Amino acid sequence: MPTKPLPAPQDPLVTALGVVAPPPIHVACEAFEGTLGTLFALVRDHRVDLLGVPLGPVCEAYLAYLVGDAARDLDEAAAALAALAYLLERKAWRLLPVPEPEPTLEEPMDPIDPTVAEFSEAIAALRASAAERELLFFRGAGAGPDLYELPYTLANVAPADLARALERLLRRAEPDLPEPLQRPRRSLEDHMETVVAALGVEWTPLERLVPTPFTREDAVYWFLGLLELVRVGRARARLGEEDVEFMRA
Amino acid sequence: MTTVDRLYALLFVADAPQDAAVLGSALGLPEGTTEEALDVLANRLRKDGPVQLVRLAGGWQLSTKPEYAELVAAFLQPQRGRLGRSLMEVLAIVAYRQPVTIAEVEAVRGVGSDHAVRALAERRLVREVGRKPVPGRPVLYGTTDQFLHQFLLDDLQALPPLADDASPSLPEPSFPGPVL
Repeated sequence: MPTKPLPAPQDPLVTALGVVAPPPIHVACEAFEGTLGTLFALVRDHRVDLLGVPLGPVCEAYLAYLVGDAARDLDEAAAALAALAYLLERKAWRLLPVPEPEPTLEEPMDPIDPTVAEFSEAIAALRASAAERELLFFRGAGAGPDLYELPYTLANVAPADLARALERLLRRAEPDLPEPLQRPRRSLEDHMETVVAALGVEWTPLERLVPTPFTREDAVYWFLGLLELVRVGRARARLGEEDVEFMRA
Repeated sequence: MTTVDRLYALLFVADAPQDAAVLGSALGLPEGTTEEALDVLANRLRKDGPVQLVRLAGGWQLSTKPEYAELVAAFLQPQRGRLGRSLMEVLAIVAYRQPVTIAEVEAVRGVGSDHAVRALAERRLVREVGRKPVPGRPVLYGTTDQFLHQFLLDDLQALPPLADDASPSLPEPSFPGPVL
């Protein structure tokens, strides 16, 4: 690659920019021949392609310079270091792979077919079917949305708030009594009716809702009953000042 | 106790569509005879009473008649959840182009559809049916029996025809092969 010699500065140690020039470390290769300072200037001006300049020997020359003459002028040594660092970084960037340019298409791409517009009449027909289906009621799961898909809101109550409320309730609970043999299984569904009856139209904290005294099992049943009522839309919950509060929906 | 009455009893307790083969097996009858009994029962119920026999999702199921809808709805107070426009678009694309990947749904819609597909899967209207044998092995989605039930369809052949039902023109897979 051809290079053009730079005009010699007035003071060989001070460049035209008024900074100290690097020492005259000589660089000779196929693409460039001259001093480190000249190489720096030409690379900076994009007049020399660094890919053709091996920088390993230049670094070695700089190290030899450091060992030998650097003590004479630390400013000059620092200028050489800065120039070398600049060259190394520029070359590192040049060595990085360049993303391939997007191929240019001679003809514009055809729009994807089908488009959603082609489904519009089918969607309308499906909606009509769904509306017709809503007039029919089936036994069991087919009767409507799955119970576990019912939308429910817990307002500002986070799961952690519920956990803390249950912990507080359990701390106040009496120990469970020994269960008699063949005791009938307690029904959460039946207990939910008790909870509904206890719920009022005003917000009530959980701890005031459960009648005392109560056992740990009672506490769990009350808590589960309340959660289930919220889920099926028969109760509402919110975070009060001190506790989670519930009311009838 | 006639065959039709026994059939009626089975359908009365069934909470999902039952096909003739299953019903026939329970009754100890050949499928053809069961089909005939189903027709007789459907005609009998159509003429009288609040209940009808409906063919949907590949089977038969009893339902209340539409004229009782208001009364039953007031009693059951069902929570209805209509599908929004974007969910219906995705559902229609899956229904007509299944098995289909999310990327193919997005290619038709031109917008991201990952969330919509997941929402439909949560409602059990679509489900994973396999993986496409292309790099990345993306999940293929198809519709469910719940979809047929919810849209009162007997099977996918009963889907309403597309406006311009051109042959499916989604790009063919680069590596054609069986659906796994």
